[in-house]
Amino acid sequence: MSEKVIIEIRDLVKIYKGSDEPAIKGISLDIFQGEIFGLLGPNGAGKTTTISILCGLFHATSGSARIDGMDIHSHLNEIKRIIGVVPQDVALYPTLTAWENLTFFGNMYGIRGIKLKEKIAEGLSVFGLEKHANKKIANCSGGIKRRINLIAGLLHEPKVIFLDEPTVGIDVQSRVVILDYLKELNHKGTTVIYTSHYMEEAEKLCSRVVIIDRGTVVSMGNPRELVAEHPEFKDLENIFLHLTGKDLRD
Amino acid sequence: MFKFFSACRKESLILIRDLAGLVMLFIMPMIMVMILALVQEQGWSSLSKDPSIPVLLVDEDHDTLGAKIQDGLKSSNIFKIFTSIEGKPITREFAKEKIAKGSYNVAVIIPKGSTKIIRHKVQVMVTQIVSGIMMPVDNPFLDIQSNDSINIIIYFDPGIKGTFKYAFMATMKEYSMFIESSMIFGSFNTELKKMFPQYRPPKTEYKESVFFTEIFPAGKDEKAVPSTTQHNIPAWALFAMFFIVIPMTGSMIKERDEGSMIRIYTMPVSYFIIFMAKVSVYAVVCIIQFILMMLAGKFILPLAGIPSLTIGSNYMGILLMMIVSSLAALGFSIAVGTIARTHQQAAAFGVVSVVVLSALGGLWVPVYLMPEFMRNLATWSPLNWAHVGFIDLFLRDATIVDVIPQMAKLLAFFIVMISAALFYRRINSPINS
Ligand SMILES: Nc1ncnc2c1ncn2[C@@H]1O[C@H](COP(=O)(O)OP(=O)(O)OP(=O)(O)O)[C@@H](O)[C@H]1O
Ligand SMILES: [Mg+2]
Repeated sequence: MSEKVIIEIRDLVKIYKGSDEPAIKGISLDIFQGEIFGLLGPNGAGKTTTISILCGLFHATSGSARIDGMDIHSHLNEIKRIIGVVPQDVALYPTLTAWENLTFFGNMYGIRGIKLKEKIAEGLSVFGLEKHANKKIANCSGGIKRRINLIAGLLHEPKVIFLDEPTVGIDVQSRVVILDYLKELNHKGTTVIYTSHYMEEAEKLCSRVVIIDRGTVVSMGNPRELVAEHPEFKDLENIFLHLTGKDLRD
Repeated sequence: MFKFFSACRKESLILIRDLAGLVMLFIMPMIMVMILALVQEQGWSSLSKDPSIPVLLVDEDHDTLGAKIQDGLKSSNIFKIFTSIEGKPITREFAKEKIAKGSYNVAVIIPKGSTKIIRHKVQVMVTQIVSGIMMPVDNPFLDIQSNDSINIIIYFDPGIKGTFKYAFMATMKEYSMFIESSMIFGSFNTELKKMFPQYRPPKTEYKESVFFTEIFPAGKDEKAVPSTTQHNIPAWALFAMFFIVIPMTGSMIKERDEGSMIRIYTMPVSYFIIFMAKVSVYAVVCIIQFILMMLAGKFILPLAGIPSLTIGSNYMGILLMMIVSSLAALGFSIAVGTIARTHQQAAAFGVVSVVVLSALGGLWVPVYLMPEFMRNLATWSPLNWAHVGFIDLFLRDATIVDVIPQMAKLLAFFIVMISAALFYRRINSPINS
């Protein structure tokens, strides 16, 4: 992990059209190159919103952000080449096979031919999906869909990957494979930004986490250091509950 | 460029995977065109072959006029004349009641003494003329006035179509004119005979001497008679083609709902390339649809006795016209699909606007029958441009240069629609928010 800031977020605010309450209210963060960075927070905290702005899906209402030194407004096209995005919900064509989906998305990243075939084959084998390559997505189980959804965002070997709850709704085996793979990518130098509701998982995996609630940062730091600072709470989950309260969210 | 081809490949694969849907896309418009053509042709042919439109005739005159009108209506082969029902002669009241109830559509009442009035009138007129020749001055006959007229009453079912009513009235007028003329002719003969006993009237009866020959000038091929089907098949085919708005917006909205579109927005590829790929693939669909409908008109409908569709010989022009018409339909679909948020919105707006644009464009009722202000509106409907273009190519053997105005307008419409979609995309975030 270097000290080079790869993502710089300053006073980011997002008010969705037709709502008066901001979804995020002035978030500022630095994410360093080579980190596995966890974005934590209860439902509706603003995690997906933050990631979406960084990927260029929404315009921020105010504030700024840079990825690898490039402003997300003015250099979106360059940024899109170096980021990989794994959406929270499976985003694949249900009537196409896994292979066809991956070929199309690979092409959209600008990869083609033998190189793409190798990348797809590699992705499928890492996640043990070789025999599902020619199955239509609609006929795959939820866990398989999630794994293919993940591969689709990584085909172009991005410098930075955003994963929105990649381990939700899948079995322990798949989760272990996914997390191991993320660690492996990270070892090769990829910066990983991911959101999760699993505190234990984040505590083990992340070099740093930020806890956001109702659109504001409530705490940030290395998870083990956070636990050390609050010995009375024993683990990240208790700290999380302490910081964000126990009321249910929408 | 390869991103574009890859997107085309994806689009085609998705279409082919839904084989049932694809077959529907090709078969349904064909069926629509054939059924509409059959229904219409059947409607007209029943009018011309089978004397099946019943007409009640109340002949209170019992003289020449009544008999001639009856003969005339019979010989037109369109009407079946009833002078009595169940052995009883029809009376005025009875006829009125039947029409009011809707059991019959038309009743004609020839009042008592009609023939006498005509005869009298004609006699006065002929006498005036003949005596005027013999005695040009101080002729008492010349002051006689005959203002009597007869009033044939026609009851129409209120639900009857305007065109039918006009056709019937025209037929009736034609017969009464003819009858009046032949009576004048007969009277002259009688009067002349009285004055010049040696005069021998011609044996032949009075005959019409003005006839009408229908010719439809159509380029080299003068015989190309445009039946209604010739005009309507291209109209229906275009109507069906614009219905691509449903599958096209469906595919766009589905892509958005399934999340794939969101993923694409995070990728280094422009929205323009993605939807141009969609346009290209769907344009092929539109063109195949159109060709199938034309083939149905040319080869299948003749089996049912409908004249084979004439498509002229400018195949290059037809191909270009098919391409620009598809582009217009698809540009419209892209705009609707970009702005609509749900399938329901897109379908409701799409269907209604296609129906409105086709009605305005003269696809259902010819533009020249519309009121003035509607006629101006018609020139703003892309379906009108396409229809005019195809009719020119099919029936008038137009050259490509002749239809350039239509093609240019359709292409401009496409560009405006695409720009509107891109503009909307620019000012609104990719996902609706
Ligand atoms: N497209 C949208 N339009 C309007 N409001 C939205 C939209 N997306 C999210 N919101 C609102 O913005 C707030 C933040 O939502 P966001 O999806 O970022 O939360 P999250 O942290 O990802 O939650 P979760 O853990 O449930 O995924 C919520 O109050 C949500 O209702
Ligand atoms: Mg979320």
